[in-house]
Amino acid sequence: MTTSNQNKNADQSRRNFITGSFAAAGVAVAPGIFLIQTAGASKPLDQEASKKNRWGILIDTSKEVDWDKCVEACNNEHGLENDKISRPDQKTQYIRVVEVTNKTTGYSKQLPVMCQHCEHPPCVDVCPTGASMKREDGIVLVDRHRCIGCRYCMMACPYKARSFVHETLKDQREATPRGKGCVESCNMCVGRVDAGLQPACVEVSNGAMVFGDLNDPESEISKLLKKQNTKQIRADLKLNTGVRYKGI
Amino acid sequence: MQLHYKILTQLSLIFGLVVMASPNLLAETDSGGLYPKITIQEQAGKQCVRPAAEIRRLHPDMLKHDRIKTLRKGVRAKNDGSSLDGSLKACISCHAIKNDSGYVRIDNDQHFCVSCHKFAAVTIDCFQCHRDIPEGGAKTAHAAKNLDSNSKDLAVISPEVSTNDNK
Repeated sequence: MTTSNQNKNADQSRRNFITGSFAAAGVAVAPGIFLIQTAGASKPLDQEASKKNRWGILIDTSKEVDWDKCVEACNNEHGLENDKISRPDQKTQYIRVVEVTNKTTGYSKQLPVMCQHCEHPPCVDVCPTGASMKREDGIVLVDRHRCIGCRYCMMACPYKARSFVHETLKDQREATPRGKGCVESCNMCVGRVDAGLQPACVEVSNGAMVFGDLNDPESEISKLLKKQNTKQIRADLKLNTGVRYKGI
Repeated sequence: MQLHYKILTQLSLIFGLVVMASPNLLAETDSGGLYPKITIQEQAGKQCVRPAAEIRRLHPDMLKHDRIKTLRKGVRAKNDGSSLDGSLKACISCHAIKNDSGYVRIDNDQHFCVSCHKFAAVTIDCFQCHRDIPEGGAKTAHAAKNLDSNSKDLAVISPEVSTNDNK
Protein backbone atom coordinates (compact mmCIF):
# COMPACT_ATOMS: atom_id res chain seq x y z
CA MET A 1 0.00 0.00 0.00
CA THR A 2 2.60 2.50 1.10
CA THR A 3 5.23 1.12 -1.24
CA SER A 4 3.14 1.98 -4.28
CA ASN A 5 2.74 5.46 -2.84
CA GLN A 6 6.46 5.74 -2.55
CA ASN A 7 6.97 4.66 -6.15
CA LYS A 8 4.52 7.18 -7.48
CA ASN A 9 5.81 10.12 -5.49
CA ALA A 10 9.50 9.50 -5.63
CA ASP A 11 10.21 13.23 -5.35
CA GLN A 12 8.33 13.80 -2.17
CA SER A 13 10.99 12.50 0.12
CA ARG A 14 9.45 14.09 3.18
CA ARG A 15 6.10 12.48 2.51
CA ASN A 16 7.82 9.19 1.87
CA PHE A 17 9.56 9.43 5.17
CA ILE A 18 6.25 9.97 6.99
CA THR A 19 4.26 7.23 5.26
CA GLY A 20 7.18 4.87 5.47
CA SER A 21 7.53 5.28 9.18
CA PHE A 22 3.79 4.80 9.60
CA ALA A 23 3.95 1.57 7.67
CA ALA A 24 6.70 0.30 9.93
CA ALA A 25 4.66 1.24 12.98
CA GLY A 26 1.61 -0.50 11.54
CA VAL A 27 3.43 -3.76 11.13
CA ALA A 28 4.96 -3.59 14.57
CA VAL A 29 1.92 -2.47 16.55
CA ALA A 30 -0.94 -4.36 15.01
CA PRO A 31 0.12 -7.63 13.47
CA GLY A 32 -3.06 -9.24 14.78
CA ILE A 33 -5.30 -7.06 12.65
CA PHE A 34 -3.49 -7.95 9.44
CA LEU A 35 -3.65 -11.60 10.40
CA ILE A 36 -7.42 -11.48 10.85
CA GLN A 37 -7.90 -9.74 7.52
CA THR A 38 -5.95 -12.29 5.54
CA ALA A 39 -7.12 -15.41 7.35
CA GLY A 40 -10.81 -14.79 7.89
CA ALA A 41 -11.14 -12.35 4.98
CA SER A 42 -13.78 -10.57 7.03
CA LYS A 43 -13.84 -6.93 7.99
CA PRO A 44 -13.57 -5.70 11.57
CA LEU A 45 -17.00 -5.14 13.13
CA ASP A 46 -16.54 -1.38 13.40
CA GLN A 47 -15.53 -0.91 9.75
CA GLU A 48 -17.79 -0.32 6.79
CA ALA A 49 -18.19 -3.01 4.16
CA SER A 50 -15.71 -2.23 1.41
CA LYS A 51 -15.42 -2.70 -2.34
CA LYS A 52 -12.27 -4.72 -1.75
CA ASN A 53 -14.41 -7.75 -0.98
CA ARG A 54 -17.01 -9.39 -3.10
CA TRP A 55 -18.75 -12.21 -1.35
CA GLY A 56 -19.84 -15.21 -3.35
CA ILE A 57 -20.96 -18.80 -3.00
CA LEU A 58 -19.96 -21.74 -5.15
CA ILE A 59 -22.53 -24.53 -5.19
CA ASP A 60 -21.40 -27.98 -6.27
CA THR A 61 -24.53 -29.69 -7.57
CA SER A 62 -22.62 -32.82 -8.52
CA LYS A 63 -22.33 -33.74 -4.86
CA GLU A 64 -25.07 -35.77 -3.23
CA VAL A 65 -26.48 -33.34 -0.72
CA ASP A 66 -29.88 -33.06 0.89
CA TRP A 67 -30.55 -29.49 -0.10
CA ASP A 68 -33.61 -29.41 2.14
CA LYS A 69 -31.17 -29.37 5.03
CA CYS A 70 -29.78 -26.08 3.75
CA VAL A 71 -33.30 -24.70 3.42
CA GLU A 72 -34.03 -25.79 6.98
CA ALA A 73 -30.86 -24.13 8.27
CA CYS A 74 -31.86 -20.98 6.41
CA ASN A 75 -35.36 -21.05 7.87
CA ASN A 76 -33.96 -21.43 11.37
CA GLU A 77 -31.36 -18.73 10.92
CA HIS A 78 -33.86 -16.16 9.69
CA GLY A 79 -36.92 -17.41 11.56
CA LEU A 80 -38.92 -17.88 8.38
CA GLU A 81 -41.30 -20.38 9.91
CA ASN A 82 -43.26 -17.86 11.93
CA ASP A 83 -45.81 -17.13 9.20
CA LYS A 84 -48.64 -19.47 10.08
CA ILE A 85 -51.37 -17.88 7.98
CA SER A 86 -50.08 -17.48 4.44
CA ARG A 87 -50.77 -20.03 1.73
CA PRO A 88 -47.78 -22.26 0.99
CA ASP A 89 -47.21 -20.56 -2.36
CA GLN A 90 -47.12 -17.17 -0.65
CA LYS A 91 -44.72 -18.11 2.12
CA THR A 92 -41.26 -16.64 2.14
CA GLN A 93 -38.48 -18.72 0.63
CA TYR A 94 -34.91 -17.53 0.71
CA ILE A 95 -33.70 -20.77 -0.89
CA ARG A 96 -35.82 -22.74 -3.33
CA VAL A 97 -34.88 -26.28 -4.29
CA VAL A 98 -35.42 -26.44 -8.03
CA GLU A 99 -35.55 -29.69 -9.98
CA VAL A 100 -34.30 -29.54 -13.54
CA THR A 101 -34.95 -32.37 -15.97
CA ASN A 102 -33.48 -33.15 -19.35
CA LYS A 103 -36.60 -33.95 -21.32
CA THR A 104 -34.90 -36.13 -23.89
CA THR A 105 -33.03 -38.37 -21.48
CA GLY A 106 -35.13 -37.96 -18.38
CA TYR A 107 -32.08 -37.17 -16.26
CA SER A 108 -33.05 -34.85 -13.44
CA LYS A 109 -31.18 -33.04 -10.74
CA GLN A 110 -31.92 -30.75 -7.83
CA LEU A 111 -30.21 -27.49 -7.13
CA PRO A 112 -30.75 -24.74 -4.61
CA VAL A 113 -31.59 -21.34 -6.06
CA MET A 114 -31.50 -18.21 -3.95
CA CYS A 115 -30.69 -14.56 -4.53
CA GLN A 116 -27.73 -14.68 -6.89
CA HIS A 117 -26.23 -11.44 -5.54
CA CYS A 118 -25.68 -9.96 -8.98
CA GLU A 119 -23.05 -7.36 -9.66
CA HIS A 120 -25.68 -5.50 -11.69
CA PRO A 121 -28.87 -6.39 -9.84
CA PRO A 122 -32.12 -5.64 -11.73
CA CYS A 123 -33.99 -5.43 -8.42
CA VAL A 124 -31.85 -2.47 -7.42
CA ASP A 125 -32.37 -0.81 -10.80
CA VAL A 126 -36.14 -0.84 -10.56
CA CYS A 127 -36.62 -0.03 -6.87
CA PRO A 128 -38.42 3.32 -6.63
CA THR A 129 -37.34 4.05 -3.06
CA GLY A 130 -33.76 2.79 -2.87
CA ALA A 131 -34.78 0.01 -0.52
CA SER A 132 -33.44 -2.72 -2.73
CA MET A 133 -29.72 -2.18 -2.49
CA LYS A 134 -26.32 -3.68 -3.03
CA ARG A 135 -23.79 -3.31 -0.27
CA GLU A 136 -20.26 -2.29 -1.14
CA ASP A 137 -19.11 -5.87 -0.71
CA GLY A 138 -21.61 -7.17 -3.25
CA ILE A 139 -24.34 -8.47 -0.95
CA VAL A 140 -27.79 -7.58 -2.30
CA LEU A 141 -30.45 -6.99 0.32
CA VAL A 142 -33.63 -5.09 1.13
CA ASP A 143 -33.59 -2.10 3.45
CA ARG A 144 -36.98 -2.71 5.03
CA HIS A 145 -36.93 0.79 6.49
CA ARG A 146 -37.45 2.08 2.97
CA CYS A 147 -39.37 -0.77 1.32
CA ILE A 148 -42.94 0.21 0.45
CA GLY A 149 -43.88 -3.27 -0.73
CA CYS A 150 -44.53 -2.38 -4.37
CA ARG A 151 -43.03 -5.71 -5.48
CA TYR A 152 -41.38 -4.21 -8.53
CA CYS A 153 -38.17 -6.05 -7.63
CA MET A 154 -40.01 -9.36 -7.56
CA MET A 155 -41.04 -8.75 -11.15
CA ALA A 156 -37.55 -7.71 -12.17
CA CYS A 157 -35.62 -10.60 -10.62
CA PRO A 158 -34.91 -13.28 -13.24
CA TYR A 159 -34.27 -15.83 -10.51
CA LYS A 160 -37.59 -15.49 -8.69
CA ALA A 161 -35.54 -15.01 -5.56
CA ARG A 162 -37.74 -12.56 -3.74
CA SER A 163 -40.76 -13.08 -1.52
CA PHE A 164 -43.35 -10.74 -0.12
CA VAL A 165 -44.57 -10.95 3.45
CA HIS A 166 -48.35 -11.07 3.38
CA GLU A 167 -49.23 -11.47 7.03
CA THR A 168 -48.42 -9.86 10.36
CA LEU A 169 -45.42 -11.60 11.88
CA LYS A 170 -44.38 -12.23 15.44
CA ASP A 171 -41.32 -13.74 17.06
CA GLN A 172 -38.80 -12.65 14.47
CA ARG A 173 -35.17 -13.55 14.96
CA GLU A 174 -33.08 -10.77 16.46
CA ALA A 175 -30.65 -10.76 13.54
CA THR A 176 -33.35 -10.77 10.84
CA PRO A 177 -36.08 -8.23 11.41
CA ARG A 178 -38.88 -8.92 8.92
CA GLY A 179 -42.51 -7.96 8.69
CA LYS A 180 -45.70 -7.55 6.75
CA GLY A 181 -45.65 -5.40 3.65
CA CYS A 182 -41.98 -5.78 2.79
CA VAL A 183 -40.20 -7.74 0.12
CA GLU A 184 -37.32 -9.89 1.28
CA SER A 185 -34.79 -12.36 0.00
CA CYS A 186 -31.59 -14.18 0.85
CA ASN A 187 -29.15 -11.67 2.31
CA MET A 188 -26.23 -14.08 2.39
CA CYS A 189 -26.65 -14.07 6.18
CA VAL A 190 -25.13 -10.61 6.18
CA GLY A 191 -24.90 -10.42 9.96
CA ARG A 192 -23.00 -13.67 10.12
CA VAL A 193 -20.69 -12.59 7.31
CA ASP A 194 -19.91 -9.36 9.14
CA ALA A 195 -19.14 -11.39 12.23
CA GLY A 196 -16.68 -13.52 10.25
CA LEU A 197 -18.94 -16.56 10.01
CA GLN A 198 -20.26 -18.40 6.99
CA PRO A 199 -23.86 -18.25 5.81
CA ALA A 200 -26.09 -20.79 7.55
CA CYS A 201 -26.72 -22.88 4.41
CA VAL A 202 -23.02 -23.16 3.65
CA GLU A 203 -22.32 -24.37 7.15
CA VAL A 204 -24.62 -27.41 6.88
CA SER A 205 -23.83 -28.25 3.23
CA ASN A 206 -21.01 -30.71 3.96
CA GLY A 207 -18.66 -28.86 1.68
CA ALA A 208 -21.01 -28.75 -1.30
CA MET A 209 -21.24 -25.00 -0.87
CA VAL A 210 -18.18 -22.81 -0.54
CA PHE A 211 -18.42 -19.24 0.67
CA GLY A 212 -15.70 -16.69 0.15
CA ASP A 213 -14.29 -13.55 -1.38
CA LEU A 214 -14.37 -13.56 -5.18
CA ASN A 215 -12.00 -10.59 -5.26
CA ASP A 216 -9.32 -12.34 -3.26
CA PRO A 217 -7.33 -14.67 -5.55
CA GLU A 218 -6.04 -16.51 -2.50
CA SER A 219 -9.48 -17.42 -1.16
CA GLU A 220 -10.71 -21.01 -1.42
CA ILE A 221 -13.63 -20.07 -3.64
CA SER A 222 -11.42 -18.17 -6.11
CA LYS A 223 -9.02 -21.10 -6.34
CA LEU A 224 -11.89 -23.52 -6.97
CA LEU A 225 -13.39 -21.24 -9.60
CA LYS A 226 -10.05 -21.08 -11.36
CA LYS A 227 -9.67 -24.86 -11.36
CA GLN A 228 -13.15 -25.99 -12.34
CA ASN A 229 -15.79 -25.36 -14.94
CA THR A 230 -18.51 -23.38 -13.21
CA LYS A 231 -21.56 -21.57 -14.45
CA GLN A 232 -23.76 -18.64 -13.61
CA ILE A 233 -27.48 -19.19 -14.10
CA ARG A 234 -28.76 -17.07 -16.99
CA ALA A 235 -25.26 -15.87 -17.71
CA ASP A 236 -26.69 -14.41 -20.94
CA LEU A 237 -28.19 -11.58 -18.90
CA LYS A 238 -24.66 -10.47 -17.99
CA LEU A 239 -25.60 -9.75 -14.40
CA ASN A 240 -22.36 -11.34 -13.13
CA THR A 241 -23.88 -13.25 -10.25
CA GLY A 242 -22.08 -13.85 -6.97
CA VAL A 243 -23.54 -17.35 -6.71
CA ARG A 244 -21.93 -19.84 -9.05
CA TYR A 245 -22.82 -23.45 -9.86
CA LYS A 246 -20.75 -26.46 -10.68
CA GLY A 247 -22.19 -29.49 -12.42
CA ILE A 248 -25.16 -28.02 -14.24
CA MET B 1 -59.39 27.11 64.44
CA GLN B 2 -56.19 29.02 63.86
CA LEU B 3 -54.24 26.35 65.70
CA HIS B 4 -55.78 23.57 63.61
CA TYR B 5 -54.66 25.25 60.42
CA LYS B 6 -51.13 25.58 61.77
CA ILE B 7 -50.97 21.90 62.68
CA LEU B 8 -52.40 20.88 59.32
CA THR B 9 -49.92 22.93 57.31
CA GLN B 10 -47.05 21.65 59.41
CA LEU B 11 -48.21 18.07 58.97
CA SER B 12 -48.56 18.43 55.22
CA LEU B 13 -45.13 20.06 55.07
CA ILE B 14 -43.56 17.12 56.89
CA PHE B 15 -45.42 14.68 54.68
CA GLY B 16 -44.24 16.53 51.63
CA LEU B 17 -40.63 16.39 52.79
CA VAL B 18 -40.90 12.68 53.45
CA VAL B 19 -42.33 12.13 50.00
CA MET B 20 -39.59 14.19 48.38
CA ALA B 21 -36.89 12.37 50.29
CA SER B 22 -38.01 8.94 49.18
CA PRO B 23 -38.92 8.74 45.53
CA ASN B 24 -39.90 5.11 45.88
CA LEU B 25 -42.78 6.09 48.10
CA LEU B 26 -44.03 8.49 45.48
CA ALA B 27 -43.68 5.88 42.81
CA GLU B 28 -45.85 3.48 44.64
CA THR B 29 -48.61 5.90 45.39
CA ASP B 30 -50.72 6.62 42.36
CA SER B 31 -50.99 10.37 42.27
CA GLY B 32 -53.25 10.20 39.24
CA GLY B 33 -51.46 13.01 37.41
CA LEU B 34 -51.49 13.30 33.66
CA TYR B 35 -48.02 12.06 32.86
CA PRO B 36 -46.75 8.74 31.61
CA LYS B 37 -45.99 5.88 33.91
CA ILE B 38 -42.81 4.52 32.41
CA THR B 39 -41.93 0.92 33.06
CA ILE B 40 -38.24 0.73 33.72
CA GLN B 41 -36.10 -1.87 35.36
CA GLU B 42 -33.44 -0.51 37.68
CA GLN B 43 -30.03 -1.89 36.79
CA ALA B 44 -27.45 -1.36 39.45
CA GLY B 45 -24.13 -0.12 38.14
CA LYS B 46 -25.27 -0.01 34.53
CA GLN B 47 -25.25 3.24 32.62
CA CYS B 48 -27.28 3.97 29.52
CA VAL B 49 -25.36 5.03 26.39
CA ARG B 50 -26.35 8.68 26.94
CA PRO B 51 -27.78 10.72 29.82
CA ALA B 52 -31.52 10.15 30.25
CA ALA B 53 -32.49 13.64 29.07
CA GLU B 54 -30.52 13.24 25.86
CA ILE B 55 -31.94 9.79 25.20
CA ARG B 56 -35.45 11.09 25.71
CA ARG B 57 -35.02 13.83 23.11
CA LEU B 58 -32.74 12.14 20.62
CA HIS B 59 -33.49 8.43 20.64
CA PRO B 60 -35.42 8.53 17.36
CA ASP B 61 -32.51 10.23 15.61
CA MET B 62 -29.99 7.87 17.16
CA LEU B 63 -31.94 4.84 16.03
CA LYS B 64 -32.36 6.25 12.53
CA HIS B 65 -28.74 7.24 12.15
CA ASP B 66 -27.30 3.94 13.26
CA ARG B 67 -29.73 1.82 11.31
CA ILE B 68 -28.35 3.33 8.11
CA LYS B 69 -24.83 2.73 9.34
CA THR B 70 -25.51 -0.88 10.18
CA LEU B 71 -27.80 -2.03 7.40
CA ARG B 72 -26.51 -0.09 4.43
CA LYS B 73 -22.86 0.28 5.36
CA GLY B 74 -22.31 -2.83 7.43
CA VAL B 75 -20.93 -1.21 10.60
CA ARG B 76 -21.83 -3.58 13.39
CA ALA B 77 -20.03 -2.19 16.43
CA LYS B 78 -18.07 0.68 17.90
CA ASN B 79 -14.27 0.75 18.02
CA ASP B 80 -14.23 -1.07 21.33
CA GLY B 81 -16.43 -3.86 20.00
CA SER B 82 -19.54 -2.85 21.91
CA SER B 83 -22.79 -2.35 20.03
CA LEU B 84 -23.63 1.01 18.46
CA ASP B 85 -25.40 3.57 20.61
CA GLY B 86 -28.45 3.50 18.39
CA SER B 87 -28.78 -0.26 18.28
CA LEU B 88 -32.38 -1.24 18.88
CA LYS B 89 -31.20 -4.72 19.78
CA ALA B 90 -29.05 -3.28 22.54
CA CYS B 91 -31.92 -1.10 23.83
CA ILE B 92 -34.18 -4.12 24.05
CA SER B 93 -31.58 -6.34 25.66
CA CYS B 94 -31.28 -3.91 28.60
CA HIS B 95 -34.77 -2.49 28.84
CA ALA B 96 -36.93 -5.55 28.29
CA ILE B 97 -39.31 -5.87 31.20
CA LYS B 98 -39.55 -9.25 32.84
CA ASN B 99 -42.28 -10.50 35.09
CA ASP B 100 -43.05 -13.85 36.66
CA SER B 101 -44.14 -15.43 33.41
CA GLY B 102 -41.33 -14.08 31.24
CA TYR B 103 -40.63 -11.06 29.08
CA VAL B 104 -43.40 -8.57 28.38
CA ARG B 105 -44.37 -8.37 24.72
CA ILE B 106 -45.09 -5.30 22.63
CA ASP B 107 -48.86 -5.77 22.88
CA ASN B 108 -48.65 -5.13 26.62
CA ASP B 109 -48.80 -1.60 28.03
CA GLN B 110 -45.97 -2.43 30.41
CA HIS B 111 -43.45 -2.91 27.59
CA PHE B 112 -40.70 -0.34 28.06
CA CYS B 113 -41.30 1.43 24.76
CA VAL B 114 -45.07 1.21 24.91
CA SER B 115 -45.28 2.53 28.45
CA CYS B 116 -44.25 5.98 27.25
CA HIS B 117 -45.32 5.94 23.63
CA LYS B 118 -48.89 5.08 24.41
CA PHE B 119 -49.19 8.16 26.59
CA ALA B 120 -47.54 10.32 23.95
CA ALA B 121 -49.86 8.87 21.29
CA VAL B 122 -46.89 8.12 19.06
CA THR B 123 -47.33 4.88 17.17
CA ILE B 124 -44.08 3.01 16.71
CA ASP B 125 -43.68 0.67 13.77
CA CYS B 126 -40.31 -0.72 14.84
CA PHE B 127 -41.71 -3.93 16.23
CA GLN B 128 -43.72 -4.88 13.18
CA CYS B 129 -40.37 -6.18 11.98
CA HIS B 130 -37.98 -6.05 14.92
CA ARG B 131 -38.06 -8.52 17.76
CA ASP B 132 -39.69 -6.92 20.82
CA ILE B 133 -37.87 -8.97 23.46
CA PRO B 134 -34.33 -10.30 23.77
CA GLU B 135 -33.61 -13.55 22.02
CA GLY B 136 -33.60 -16.64 24.18
CA GLY B 137 -36.48 -15.31 26.23
CA ALA B 138 -38.71 -18.20 25.30
CA LYS B 139 -41.17 -17.53 28.07
CA THR B 140 -43.31 -14.54 27.35
CA ALA B 141 -46.07 -12.73 29.12
CA HIS B 142 -48.98 -11.37 27.17
CA ALA B 143 -51.14 -10.28 30.06
CA ALA B 144 -48.82 -9.21 32.81
CA LYS B 145 -50.47 -7.48 35.70
CA ASN B 146 -48.19 -7.33 38.71
CA LEU B 147 -45.63 -4.96 37.33
CA ASP B 148 -46.47 -2.00 39.49
CA SER B 149 -43.17 -2.23 41.30
CA ASN B 150 -41.45 -1.40 37.98
CA SER B 151 -43.82 1.38 37.14
CA LYS B 152 -42.54 4.87 37.85
CA ASP B 153 -43.75 8.36 37.28
CA LEU B 154 -41.62 9.99 34.66
CA ALA B 155 -41.19 12.92 37.03
CA VAL B 156 -39.44 10.69 39.53
CA ILE B 157 -36.87 9.20 37.22
CA SER B 158 -36.20 12.46 35.44
CA PRO B 159 -36.59 15.49 37.67
CA GLU B 160 -36.00 17.89 34.80
CA VAL B 161 -39.44 17.05 33.47
CA SER B 162 -41.78 19.11 35.56
CA THR B 163 -45.05 17.45 36.31
CA ASN B 164 -46.69 20.80 35.77
CA ASP B 165 -45.79 20.67 32.10
CA ASN B 166 -48.06 17.74 31.65
CA LYS B 167 -51.05 18.96 33.57
